[in-house]
Amino acid sequence: MKEVKESIKKPKAPKQDLLAKAFHWINIVSLLIMTSSGLRIYNANPVFGGREGMHLSGTFLLGDGLADGRVWHFAAMWIYAINLLIYGLYIFITKRWKNRFATSKDFKAVQASANEKRKIFAGHKIVYTVIIPILLLAIVSGVVMYKPAQLHWLANLFGSWQVLRTVHFLTIPIVLGFTFVHSLLALKFGGIRLVKSMFV
Amino acid sequence: MGLILPKQTLSRRKLLQWSSFVGGSFLLNGCSSSWGGSQINQWTEPLNQTIQQLMVSQRSVPEFAANQIEPNSLLINSFNGVPDIDLKTYRLRISGEVKNPLQLNLGEIQALPMTSMIIRHICVEGWAAIVQWGGIRLSDLIKLAQPNEDAKYVYFKSADGYYESWNLAASLHPQTLLAYQKNGEPLPIENGAPLRLASPIKLGYKQSKWVTEVILTKQLMTKQGYWEDRGYEWFAGL
Repeated sequence: MKEVKESIKKPKAPKQDLLAKAFHWINIVSLLIMTSSGLRIYNANPVFGGREGMHLSGTFLLGDGLADGRVWHFAAMWIYAINLLIYGLYIFITKRWKNRFATSKDFKAVQASANEKRKIFAGHKIVYTVIIPILLLAIVSGVVMYKPAQLHWLANLFGSWQVLRTVHFLTIPIVLGFTFVHSLLALKFGGIRLVKSMFV
Repeated sequence: MGLILPKQTLSRRKLLQWSSFVGGSFLLNGCSSSWGGSQINQWTEPLNQTIQQLMVSQRSVPEFAANQIEPNSLLINSFNGVPDIDLKTYRLRISGEVKNPLQLNLGEIQALPMTSMIIRHICVEGWAAIVQWGGIRLSDLIKLAQPNEDAKYVYFKSADGYYESWNLAASLHPQTLLAYQKNGEPLPIENGAPLRLASPIKLGYKQSKWVTEVILTKQLMTKQGYWEDRGYEWFAGL
């Protein structure tokens, strides 16, 4: 009797695909390198205010000066981009995008569902679906700044150079905010066990 | 001999790489307050350079309209102030791997066909400015000097001691100019007068100011450029 009770209380721990776990790990590590070296580049001429603009403290920044920051940035970009590409192929081939990502049903559920868990799940799906284009925007805006002459047609879409720099910079606070909400919703929906299942 | 020489240089470079690992410089870098990327650079720089070279074409980069020029955005950078140049005795010299070494005074330079372009000048620091540059095509000058078949690189020496090296293809690009005009006016001294490099396909630090010498070479030397020798990327293509 006691055993049955326990099995009801503690359903089987959620299991994640190895590829989903690998994506999360590599994504976090490469984004940490991209951000800490990217802010080192930012400091050479702050996006907001230029040379007179506010500089960031160097304690958490990667790279010994601008040249070194660029080396790290243009090394980690490959890891970040290839990881995202493999993940894209994986969710496409396994058809994960069909049931793991947000659809119109989820938008309805968030507005009208009476089931609280269903609401959180649907909301969470929307949140991590919306971050995908942001992750891609970080690559596109970055590559355009890296090769603006060869990719002039893409650079024109951003309008001015300042817009381009600002968009690229804004992907940092957006991804940071996303990481917070994503973790919070996962905790709310499945507890620490769900969060842990994505990493170990 | 020609066959043996490259092998020797390669093994020597390998040896130096190994010795730097054995010497613990890798560990030392890892332990210093900020991590050095030079070891990573050995792996990623050849890859990045190959991709960059694949992306570059010899076609012109589309230009901007005159009303898009940003006269206040072009900042002044120099490693050592502004040099004193006597315009009367100023000569531009082209030498090295050429059949016809040249020495031109400013009158002779300005007698060559002028090209004007409105391009985005991009600094490694992150800022950019849309600028009009007017001057002679570097390719015209190199053609006049009749380059040898095996010329692969172009070195630039400046009056202030600045030096740079470019790949030949980028030097022959139709929008790589030796400019003497900025935004419709004679080039100001702080922007590199009497003659500076200007091009939409390389970062600002490649675009030497106060150019006095153009030297074609077969190989890239140990010294590759003022900032390159201080850790900045050599190719620096846009």
